[in-house]
Amino acid sequence: MPQEARLSHTAAMILQAISAGYVYGFSIMEMTGLPSGTVYPAMRRLERDDLIRSQWEKQSIADAEQRPPRKYYRLTADGKATLEASRKRYPLLERLISAQEANSL
Amino acid sequence: MKPSYDRAFRPLQNGMICAASFLVPSGQRSEWRHEWNAELWHVRHSLCECGGLPWPAQRQITAFCLGSLRDAMCLRRESRRAQQPEPRISGAAEQCILRLCTLLLVCVVLASLLPGVQTVRDPARFQVNPGVIFIQTSPSADQFSPSISPTLFLDWKNTRQRYFDEFAFYRTVSEPASLSARRARWSVTHASPNLFSLLGLQLPFDLGGSADDGATPAVILSYDSWRREFASDPGVAGRLIRIGDRAVRIAGVMPYGMWRLPGTPDAWLLEPESRLADASPGARGYLVAHLSPLGQSWMNGPSVPITVRGAEDPDVEFYAVSFADRLRGPGGIFTFAFLLALLALPAVTSVTMGESNYSSHRPSRKRTLLRWAFLLAKFVLVAAIGYFASLDLAWWSSSNYSPLAEFAQLVWAFAMCLFGFRWALADQRQRCPVCLRCVTHPAQVGLASRTFLGWNGTEMMCMGGHTLLHVPSLPTSWFSGQRWLYLDSSWEFLFADSCLY
Repeated sequence: MPQEARLSHTAAMILQAISAGYVYGFSIMEMTGLPSGTVYPAMRRLERDDLIRSQWEKQSIADAEQRPPRKYYRLTADGKATLEASRKRYPLLERLISAQEANSL
Repeated sequence: MKPSYDRAFRPLQNGMICAASFLVPSGQRSEWRHEWNAELWHVRHSLCECGGLPWPAQRQITAFCLGSLRDAMCLRRESRRAQQPEPRISGAAEQCILRLCTLLLVCVVLASLLPGVQTVRDPARFQVNPGVIFIQTSPSADQFSPSISPTLFLDWKNTRQRYFDEFAFYRTVSEPASLSARRARWSVTHASPNLFSLLGLQLPFDLGGSADDGATPAVILSYDSWRREFASDPGVAGRLIRIGDRAVRIAGVMPYGMWRLPGTPDAWLLEPESRLADASPGARGYLVAHLSPLGQSWMNGPSVPITVRGAEDPDVEFYAVSFADRLRGPGGIFTFAFLLALLALPAVTSVTMGESNYSSHRPSRKRTLLRWAFLLAKFVLVAAIGYFASLDLAWWSSSNYSPLAEFAQLVWAFAMCLFGFRWALADQRQRCPVCLRCVTHPAQVGLASRTFLGWNGTEMMCMGGHTLLHVPSLPTSWFSGQRWLYLDSSWEFLFADSCLY
């Protein structure tokens, strides 16, 4: 069984934000209040460790909305398990970022 | 105001992302720039929806773009780290075994290249017929001396014997030798024609007709003299040389290491027995005899006295002396040295593994077995290294049998086994019983002046977070040897920094 990675609070917040539906860099920045210089490097490390996975939006969708395509992030199975462990470690995490907020946006 | 702000900041912001992209490794640069440009567009769009692009909004966008520099540097660092080799875990059990195997391989290769070692490891090359002994006036089997006269040899040979069925004789003298235009002084062994057949040595060449037939006497060169005087010439057989006042024919070269009897001659000259008897009255040589079945039944031990009826000098005693010691291979010597080293081991080091019952956390049975297997592997490898290295060192330059070389092999093998086993035990005591890695980071704990209040000594830790090793500076009645303290899983977070972001 692979050992679960122990996340810092920042990384746990980013995972929680993605889990809550904030699926691209700028929205995560807005939600967490973290600067771009923290959010993007952290997401690269999370992706390197297979906790999140990125995917480019289809060009056709972006063209229809007359904007450039964005890179979306989603949690992997390992990421979900790690987030679950991080929620026990940081009990206030869910209260800071809840799924309802993302859905309401 | 809006267009002027935008015209001023847009190139700056785009330029920052473009400049930062050059820090990103080339393979990821395009996608990285694409993502940041897309995000920048959305940031601008988002802030535009909130009411244009005034000064604070431009500051936010610029701050966002500054983050790209940090992101690019992080990617660059990650990329460099990925290109660097994995840090080596020093002191791992695999490394230790690998090093010992490498050392063993070097010793084995060296042994296969040294002709002296090859000879000594091939007993078939120097084994003689069973029941062959020396007859001499000294009972010592360690020191052979030429003590038999040629006339006595002929006398015994021509008399019916109960205990012996064949005799051969040889004596070694220094004589001048003429080799084409060069003259040298050789140590020449004059031997009866049956010497090699009695010994059972299989010479790889024909000795030719005997000198009784009027043929030129045959001489056999030693390996050393062949290399020294004839530059290892392969066509030396059949050549005529002069030894003393006679012309002799070279029959061949004695194979390397085959001659193990006393004396290190440059050549063996096979002569008729009558000519051997022509030597001066004081000449003495070695008498080799083959025991009859009755004689073999009487030959108990390395040396047996012989009763000679009608001897000329009744005060002289003769002994049948075995030279089996000269024919034993290196295995017997090494086995003796190995056992001696095992017996001596407790005198030079403690043979305990520093186990204690002070901790409830113990390694699993599998781990314990693995630990003992590791110790056993080290012992086996050290013994093998001791065997081959002692052979290499002892027989490095010996071309003939030499009791000195055998003694050197015994000493080297004993020293290597003893100190090798000592190292193996000391190394094992410094290894974590759980992961078998060497403990590190020694820290001095306590004060020597407070020995009676608490322990003082050195504390070392396993980098895997499994154990702490306590080694007392002054052994006391309550803390005499080293102790392992097994750490439970609650300590792991201290040793797992690499998992943290």
